[in-house]
Amino acid sequence: MSIRRVGVLLRKEFVQGPKNFIFIYGVVAPLVISLVLSLVLGSLFSEEPRLGIVDEGGSELVALVEAVDSLEAREFDTAADVKGAVAKGAVDVGVVLPRGFDAAVRQSVPTEITAYIWGESLAKSRAIVDVTLADLTRDLAGQEAPVTVRFTMLGKEGVPWEDRMLPFIMLIAVVFGGAILPATSLVGEKQGRTLEALVVTPTSLGDVFLAKGLVGVVLSFVVTVLLLAINQAFGSGAGLLLMVLVLGAVMAAGFGLLLGAAMREITTLFAVFKMIGVLLYAPSIIYLFPQIPQWIGKIFPTYYLVQPVVEISQRGGGWADIAPDVGVLIGLDVLLLGVVVLVVRKAQQYEV
Amino acid sequence: MNRRVVAALVAKDIRLFFRNRLFGLVTVLGLVVYVGVYFGMPGSVDEDLEIGMYAPVVPPAFEEMQPDGVKLETVESEEALLLAITDGEYPAGMVLPADIMQKFDAGLKPEIDVYLWADSPAEVGEAVEFLVTELSYAQTGQPLSVQVLQEVLGPDMLDRQIPARDRMVPFFAVLILVAETFGMASLISEEVQRGTVTALLVTPVSVPGLFVGKGITGVCLAFVQVALYAVIIGGMESQPAIVLLTLLLGAVLVTGVGFFVAALGKDLMSVMAWGVVAMVVLSIPPVSVMFPGAVSGWAKVIPSYYLVDTLHQVAIFGAGWADVWRNLLILVAFDLGIALVGVATLWRKCR
Repeated sequence: MSIRRVGVLLRKEFVQGPKNFIFIYGVVAPLVISLVLSLVLGSLFSEEPRLGIVDEGGSELVALVEAVDSLEAREFDTAADVKGAVAKGAVDVGVVLPRGFDAAVRQSVPTEITAYIWGESLAKSRAIVDVTLADLTRDLAGQEAPVTVRFTMLGKEGVPWEDRMLPFIMLIAVVFGGAILPATSLVGEKQGRTLEALVVTPTSLGDVFLAKGLVGVVLSFVVTVLLLAINQAFGSGAGLLLMVLVLGAVMAAGFGLLLGAAMREITTLFAVFKMIGVLLYAPSIIYLFPQIPQWIGKIFPTYYLVQPVVEISQRGGGWADIAPDVGVLIGLDVLLLGVVVLVVRKAQQYEV
Repeated sequence: MNRRVVAALVAKDIRLFFRNRLFGLVTVLGLVVYVGVYFGMPGSVDEDLEIGMYAPVVPPAFEEMQPDGVKLETVESEEALLLAITDGEYPAGMVLPADIMQKFDAGLKPEIDVYLWADSPAEVGEAVEFLVTELSYAQTGQPLSVQVLQEVLGPDMLDRQIPARDRMVPFFAVLILVAETFGMASLISEEVQRGTVTALLVTPVSVPGLFVGKGITGVCLAFVQVALYAVIIGGMESQPAIVLLTLLLGAVLVTGVGFFVAALGKDLMSVMAWGVVAMVVLSIPPVSVMFPGAVSGWAKVIPSYYLVDTLHQVAIFGAGWADVWRNLLILVAFDLGIALVGVATLWRKCR
């Protein structure tokens, strides 16, 4: 094995890679999926009422509305704008505060305002907007509340959906960059017969496998780090986390190389990835649903990557908390790389 | 054009399609996953904010003046209330003191305990506080000087809200249709690369016959799958003829796109690359159904808008021919235009 030749191959992979669909997909897809999931989880399942407000006379009510948690407020310039937004469903309720609204409220002058309501808005959203506006208007008028409300929290706060999705998104990045890229690259070389051409030069099969594996490791690592940064999920142990991500990237790349070595056709490779994808993503799916016994996740190899990442980024865990899982992860890496070496040696014996 | 030859071409292409492990698997697995996701999601919408209340004495306003969309449900004891909250029955609950009416009458401020489940959405706590305060104002005879007049825009869907899973149906329909585009485009592209298309043309197969054959294969593959999906999820209950016609037009649309993608792609990889671009563009209009207000009017330039809008109008609002004929007409125009462009581009490549 020659380091110089591996370097040349690596350079070729990085120069030619960005022209390859899978390479681009490996970088873009996890980021897009992450953004889409954030949007879906933030909007599709959110029932927070949305209020559109037009302030024609500098009312203090706008600031009061913007400060509350019970609804999401958005300011519009004109009555037509807010009405249009309500008709499209961009907001649940739209109100126009006329000039002199604050003065009228403070002097208890009877005032009428129109609330435009989106036909598809939930009854509870309309009710929450209604009581919130009424209560804040009374604040504006200086009315003293006739009751005192005391809050008590019950139970332990669960893991929000956005956080539960993190392992899934992370595994997409690891699998796309780390496994699919080396595998498709190897199969592509086989199909195009460029692998045969390569190994009749002084370049060995080991050099080719190492270069492709390294590309997978680098891409997987960089995209995963980027994803964690975007999701602000680095936690307090950035160093530990980076170490775990490198080990995870090595596992993915080893797995990708093995698949690439075993498959001859790109369509078969994708079909196999589709079938075994469930196994790779299983720990993250189990983590999504706390009702499922979490020990089941330990059956799957990617658990030993997911668990330390969750421990560090979401629970503030340290080395002592992740050491056993990282130990298994290192073991899996060594095992996979060992099998890759055996496969390469065997292939070299018979030539490609 | 010989019908027997076209039929033979269609049969051959369908066999080839399912011989491809990837597309065969995606076809079956995709349908299973989309159906599974649909039935896995809640089929109804929880319209009301249900709040538990323990009150030895219930002030009349708390009983009679609850706004629509809020349900104050009384429980027997404070312990029962806490248990119901921790069991997830209510996101929040309140305990009214036994002397609440005396305090109101005496002009004193009674203290109301509100219990919140830690996992409840952030808006619930403050909403309950505002509600309790408003009901207390009402009980103490302090009306608000502002009167809010309500005007509902669009059909009022109170008590017949659209569950999230039904909002996702047009998105899944587009995904199912587009997935077939990938398969069709890959098949054609492979034939062009291997030169089998040229070989076919020296047989009695004519150029129009070849494209009609490919077109029928593409439309059949896409239409059968998406129609099956619609039947399974109960999408045919309202206006089945319109739904079927819309899906058929959708299948023609993606087949035209498939021809275009096949002309652009050189192999499976580039077909997938261009196919993803097509998928992203065609998936923008369904987003406007899933997230109302998220997509502006420009989405109307995307052909799938008319597919998605028709399905949504028919399935959710019970629209009929009179409401959707314009959409269908525009979709037909897009189908013709895209199919022509697709065939022309592909033919240019084949030559």
